[in-house]
Amino acid sequence: MKTLVTLPLVVPLAAAALSLLMRRFLVAQRVLGITAATASLGIALALVVRVDGTGPAVAALGGWHPPLGIALVADRFAALMLVVAAAALLGVLVYAVGQGRVDTAMPGFHPVYQVLAAGVALGLLTGDLFTLFVAFEVMLIASYVLITARAGAAHVRATLTYVVVGLTASALFLATVALIYAAAGTVNLADLAGRLDGVSPTIRAALGWLLFMVFGIKAAIFPLFFWLPDSYPTAPSPVTAIFAGLLTKVGVYAMIRTQTLLFPSDEPSQVMLALAGLTMVVGVLGAIAQSDIRRILSFHIVSQIGYMVMGLGFFTVAGLAAAIVFLVHQIVVKTVLFLVGGLVEDTAGTGNLAKVGGVLHRHPLVALLYLPAALSLAGLPPFSGFVGKLALVQAGFAASQAPVVAVSLAASILTLFSMAKIWAGAFWGQPTGEDCRRPGAVGLAATGALVVASLAIAVVAQPLLGLATRAGADLLAADVYRAVVLGG
Amino acid sequence: MAIFPSTHATLGAPATAGRRALHLRAGRAVTLGLLLAAPFATAMVLLAVPGRARKTAAALALLPLVGFTAWAVASAGPLLSGGEITLALPWIPDLGVALDLRLDALGLLLALVATGIGSLVVVYSAAYLPAGIHLPRFMAYLVAFAGGMVGVAAADNLFGLFVFWEITTVASYLLIGFSDDKGSARAAALQAVLTTSAGGLAMLAGCVLLSRQAGTATLSAILAAPPSGAATTAALALILLGAFTKSAQVPFHGWLPAAMAAPTPASAYLHSATMVKAGVFLLARLHPGFGSDPIWAPVITTVGLATMVLGAWRALRQTDLKLLLAFGTVSQLGFMTALLGLGLVHAALAVLVGHALYKSALFLVVGTIDRTAGTRDLRVLSGLGRRLPGLLAVAAVAAASKAGLPPLLGWAAKEAAFAEILTVAAWPVVILTVAASALTAAYALRFVWGAFATKAMAPDARPLGAGVLPPAPGLWAPAALLAAASVVLGIAPGWVDRLVQAAAGVPGKLVLWPGWQPALAASGAAVALGAIIHLGRTRAAHLQAAGERLFRSLRFPTADGTYRRSLEGLNRLADATTGTLQHGSLPVYLGVILLATLGLPAAWWLAGGAGMPAPPLAHRPAEVALGLLAAAAAFGAARARHRLTAALFLGAAGYAVGGIFVLYGAPDLALTQLLVETLTVAMFAFVVARLPRRHEEARLPWWRALRVGVALAVGAVVTWAALAVGGGGGGEASAAYLEKAVPEAGGRNVVNVILTDFRALDTLGEITVLVVAAMGVAGLIAGARVASGREEDPR
Amino acid sequence: MSLVLALTAGALFAAGTYLLLQRLLTRIVVGLGLIAHGANLLLLGAAGRPGAAPIITEGGAAYSDPLPQALVLTAIVITFGVTAFLLALAWRSWALTRSDAVEDDLEDRRIARLGRSGG
Repeated sequence: MKTLVTLPLVVPLAAAALSLLMRRFLVAQRVLGITAATASLGIALALVVRVDGTGPAVAALGGWHPPLGIALVADRFAALMLVVAAAALLGVLVYAVGQGRVDTAMPGFHPVYQVLAAGVALGLLTGDLFTLFVAFEVMLIASYVLITARAGAAHVRATLTYVVVGLTASALFLATVALIYAAAGTVNLADLAGRLDGVSPTIRAALGWLLFMVFGIKAAIFPLFFWLPDSYPTAPSPVTAIFAGLLTKVGVYAMIRTQTLLFPSDEPSQVMLALAGLTMVVGVLGAIAQSDIRRILSFHIVSQIGYMVMGLGFFTVAGLAAAIVFLVHQIVVKTVLFLVGGLVEDTAGTGNLAKVGGVLHRHPLVALLYLPAALSLAGLPPFSGFVGKLALVQAGFAASQAPVVAVSLAASILTLFSMAKIWAGAFWGQPTGEDCRRPGAVGLAATGALVVASLAIAVVAQPLLGLATRAGADLLAADVYRAVVLGG
Repeated sequence: MAIFPSTHATLGAPATAGRRALHLRAGRAVTLGLLLAAPFATAMVLLAVPGRARKTAAALALLPLVGFTAWAVASAGPLLSGGEITLALPWIPDLGVALDLRLDALGLLLALVATGIGSLVVVYSAAYLPAGIHLPRFMAYLVAFAGGMVGVAAADNLFGLFVFWEITTVASYLLIGFSDDKGSARAAALQAVLTTSAGGLAMLAGCVLLSRQAGTATLSAILAAPPSGAATTAALALILLGAFTKSAQVPFHGWLPAAMAAPTPASAYLHSATMVKAGVFLLARLHPGFGSDPIWAPVITTVGLATMVLGAWRALRQTDLKLLLAFGTVSQLGFMTALLGLGLVHAALAVLVGHALYKSALFLVVGTIDRTAGTRDLRVLSGLGRRLPGLLAVAAVAAASKAGLPPLLGWAAKEAAFAEILTVAAWPVVILTVAASALTAAYALRFVWGAFATKAMAPDARPLGAGVLPPAPGLWAPAALLAAASVVLGIAPGWVDRLVQAAAGVPGKLVLWPGWQPALAASGAAVALGAIIHLGRTRAAHLQAAGERLFRSLRFPTADGTYRRSLEGLNRLADATTGTLQHGSLPVYLGVILLATLGLPAAWWLAGGAGMPAPPLAHRPAEVALGLLAAAAAFGAARARHRLTAALFLGAAGYAVGGIFVLYGAPDLALTQLLVETLTVAMFAFVVARLPRRHEEARLPWWRALRVGVALAVGAVVTWAALAVGGGGGGEASAAYLEKAVPEAGGRNVVNVILTDFRALDTLGEITVLVVAAMGVAGLIAGARVASGREEDPR
Repeated sequence: MSLVLALTAGALFAAGTYLLLQRLLTRIVVGLGLIAHGANLLLLGAAGRPGAAPIITEGGAAYSDPLPQALVLTAIVITFGVTAFLLALAWRSWALTRSDAVEDDLEDRRIARLGRSGG
């Protein structure tokens, strides 16, 4: 069991090291990368089954019992996220290999991609606040390298925005860790949960908000998100897709983890709900103002983050469960949409809605992949987004928070508007522009597999929601987490 | 306004059939499930059928529709006597979501209309749609839509109903925009989907509220024991919004005329016969449970009457035959809604069936005219009746049913409706109904006259040449069948009556000849008035034009105008918000991030009293000097005008910090700091060597003052926070490190032991960062060389 | 945390912020460096009252809290790696655009103009 907890981290790291050694052999790197990603998915699946059956698993690294050493903690939430993250990482990697552009143009792509995977796994599993900082740094440096890989003169500015904001957020994170250590004398999350009880409520709340906002920069909530739509669209499409699918969500994960464990609340947080509502509305309005597929989708990343923060803000099991289901759905669907955006750009040479058109007539398969993902994003049944949205709405009514629920519903009609804009602009109409190339079969298959995954989320919604509800209950039972990590 | 009558009295068929469910054989339930799944599966298959395989596509599409129709007719018997076919299809029990099916007489009625008319429309479409159109795709949308309608008819769970409801919305979107090279079609599709799904979202919220009130989302259970109270009324109001938008009620009706951009078979099917009936159906579904809710009668009746009158009024003004029919549909939907508001479920359903039959026939006729004559503008059409007498006959029968003439189904339905209205409603309702019926008769006449009559044409009008050929059988047979059904079912309305009575769960009388009664006078007056209006059509048109001028001068908001303005407003709002917030400037982003991230906690702390422990001035005397040095170096770096100077100041600050490390008993740290600082400055110097020496910003005084302000605020909050969190000091772990380092980890330098043993994972992460950073640096430098080499010789 | 340490950290953050809110990349790099120093100082200060260097000796009495020192060390090295990367990026930016200023996002400015003219 202990090994199973460390494997999600060990496999990509080992793959990264091996891949680095084989950097002259692209085919070997590709095979290795896809093998490692597949193995990671299998490991994550095994982990979630085990953890759901027998409770959270803890691996104290080096045999040092926490809080002395660093513990990797796989509870239901972490294990579930690992599964979805691994699926997205695998799908995008296959797509990238099929497209065959990003890894030929950038020699270090495969090792760095695996490092990104390792960083994500570490961020999800770590039971230590400082190690979370390190995990973010691992993820960020990998993302810096990936986003700048092919940046020409037109995009270098955007990548600078990304890197500078990332560095600023890291410095603020480190300062926050320092302040929390000064207040409570430990960086172990489980230990902190107990020791923060001895801190004055005002200081504790202030530290809670500080940490919330620090993760808010990574998660791109209002008013901290402006860097995202400027920078994400400029990377090669597989890179943008995995960023869109995963990186902000790890921020949300960290937010949910730390808020429930360290700064629990018995009642809905009005500040959080207000920020969530603003994030949804401002994000979706931003999407409506855009005319390029990637930029539209980038603003939707922001908007949808608001829904998850809303689920957290209720501070109920149902709210957390809904947020978790929504997270799972978002990771898959957002990845799919960006991959489809990449396919459109491949075939039409541009993602500008004024210049592209009629993809439905030229490449109906691409349209067929877009439609369920777009409807899902807009929360229409019977797709995964509907499940997430309905769970959130029900949790919201149960927590007597009708206003923010109304805002979320209004934002979802605007999302539909924006998805229809892409459909009408890119897929309908006379085919315009030169038909650059046919979408590759591998890319279509990888995207299709993720579409099937998103449909599957809807089909298995009940077991998923059951798991998410148990995960949410775990999150609110902070004592259990403490006991498992410190007392086990 | 009349309170709705007590319609819960029972007839031969039990009114509340749900409770007395006569559960039919399980085999039937499974068949129902399969028949519901079939259209969706067929749609998937159709999406894979190539565009030229038109016959295959039509045959495939026909299969599930005809299959369902046949099965439904065969299974009708038990359903008509109060039986139900139920099938439990759980989906997300924790959210109360299920796709449970419960087909009763009411569901059967809608499902039969959907699949029966659907079959005819499929046949018609295959003949109607030109070769350039991707027929399999059209059929796929159509069949998926039919599946959605059957689902709406049979759903026994609020959320399940919503699922199918939205499937019809999406299918409708795809069909309206099917001629997607036309901007108008795309815009109309958008208007339809936005209007109906906005209503759908309200309905979803209503469903959640209602299921919370009732403790279940199972429709039959809710209707058996309906909750009441303010929350229930609110839920009902939200659900009504969904029904009204779907059924194109005032003020949400604007999307329906616009939806005429769809290919005519789709209009005939979705936007007259079936989808728009879903809202009416939902009202009929909910009536047994919520008919006595305080808002039911006043709201629904008012909205329905307004829609009925407005639709009829607008229909009379149209010159496009299709638009004429569309407004007629709006009007008739209003009629049904008003009847439901009055609690006259039987009459409403009778009108629904009658309308579905004649209106789809008329639409198909318009399609055929459009196809054969090349236009559907009644100002241009002339003499078509003489060339196509068969089509004229079909249209005349259907229009007569619409006008409510015997012996057609439309007549029987309207007589029944009038009779029931006269017994329950107040006179203003009666007058409005008669007026609208008169207008209906008038525009029915106008339709036949406009399409087929030989008219004196304007001199510049394009006369129809002799090129009008008799249409292919596929183009007239389906309409003829529908018209024939209006006749047969009008003469012998017994079967429809049984269905409608069982569906309504209340008595009512649908007969060819009701005998001499007051209703006869009302309907006679309506028809006569309609004829008069048509005969005096020139004068009526002037009158209408004057009326509309009056409305315009009052700046009365129109549905289209409101939609257009909302959309424009939304786009403007989006541009303005985004233009303001998404500034595009990195310094602005960073300023906002710093202020917000530190501001929110600071505000919390200020609100909590802002207390802090009294700090010691310094732990070591030399700390003061080094602190001052670091601060001065920082200040110097901020002021420096030359890049290298700034870097040297940064290094100086780093050295000072390193000095503090020494004071605090951290020699390793200090050593690392000095090393790293030196390396950083060296790298900086290496990069800067290529850049201009000076690095100054354009000086805008206010912008600089703002920067200073933000900087001071950040510095103040950091200082304050550092002092507020208190004395610091580690917990048990720190003590344990000191204790265990030597005996258990075998190292004296505790910091080293922590890094290499206790917390080795951090170090692993750190090394990973370094390696990846090195790779990134190498890649950037190599890339930059290539890029700059390329850029340097552009000419 | 001592007053001097808190004030020094505040001063480093303030000067760093001032530099960060500018367009020239070299200034931004210097600003980030100052802020990183400030954060490291905070972490060191979180250790509370300092003692002897935590190198265990036979008669050792009061040592400094070793954990923050270890964390600072990790942070310093990570910051160094990332700063090196940013400098390389600055270099590349200069090579590509002959400017070391971070200009505004063009698409954002276009929409901002739309928002003003349309509104």
